[in-house]
Amino acid sequence: MITTPPYSNLTATALDYVESALKAGFEVIGIFFYQEGVLHADSNLSIASDEFQAVAKWQQLHQQYQLPLHLCITAAEKRGLRDDITPTNINPLFTVSGLGELVELTDKADRVIQL
Amino acid sequence: MSILHLVRSSQFNSSDFLQCIGVLTPGDQLVLLDDACYNLHHPLLIAAQEKLFPQKIAVVTSHAQARAVTLPETITGISMTELVHLTFNNDSVVTWQ
Amino acid sequence: MTEKQNKTVAIINSQAPFSSPGGKDALDTALIFGSYEQNIALFFMGDGVYQLIDKQNPELINQKNYLKTFSAFEFYDIEQVYVCAQSLKDRGLTDKFHIENTTLLEPAQFAQTLAGFQVIFRF
Repeated sequence: MITTPPYSNLTATALDYVESALKAGFEVIGIFFYQEGVLHADSNLSIASDEFQAVAKWQQLHQQYQLPLHLCITAAEKRGLRDDITPTNINPLFTVSGLGELVELTDKADRVIQL
Repeated sequence: MSILHLVRSSQFNSSDFLQCIGVLTPGDQLVLLDDACYNLHHPLLIAAQEKLFPQKIAVVTSHAQARAVTLPETITGISMTELVHLTFNNDSVVTWQ
Repeated sequence: MTEKQNKTVAIINSQAPFSSPGGKDALDTALIFGSYEQNIALFFMGDGVYQLIDKQNPELINQKNYLKTFSAFEFYDIEQVYVCAQSLKDRGLTDKFHIENTTLLEPAQFAQTLAGFQVIFRF
């Protein structure tokens, strides 16, 4: 579970953890974005090019390892991210989900880490 | 049942580390990362050391080095990959942030 | 407890109820786990114990009273509510809570009980 925003160095740590796990051969069955973590899914996000690009990193892990990226839509809507408007401002990299998905992931996983 | 405790904040700024120490039980593992590296030089580190074996307290080396925080001799530095493995050497994980 | 082998999930509440969204986010998470019939427990420690204190008036500060929902815990099969006795003591509080059926635990017991859970979230 990711709860920190894309501009926070805490998120760089989380990405480092996830990538290290994947490289070590662990299966990561999903990332659930909650609280400020949902801000990663804002397609209007613009972070100066010389700063850490968290979303690009999530995209890379998503493509390289088929890592599912679940967005808590309730937390997202509160922060202006909408899947019910056209065009949507939710980055298509993310799967619109709810807390029910967190329950399912928790049920399946051997370990659950909140970062 | 052992818990892996991940502390991510400075005790000079929040009481997360203190709360974590309150629930440490022998056999638990404590890892300091992010701003919790500053706790290596907080008086409360001793309280953690009184509760856990020395080998059960670690810090993510790169996180301490990035902050120019020196490692006390008694504290082990680990990599992120080692942290991942610790996740599976314990029964559950709590993040204090 | 359900018959299915569900994971045991603990949620630690560490934030005072109003200035931080943590309490509400923890509640939403707990209710979902409860409605999926998961084995869920709530732990209140640190400033989180302020969420339990009786006679609060969030309406006075334009705050929705989500604390009222705590009384529905049993309806959601959330039967384990643990409170850190030391956190109460540190804050000069007594166990005058707005919900019943809570278990007050001293630090050692609180830690031991928490260690019995397979998944732990903290808000």
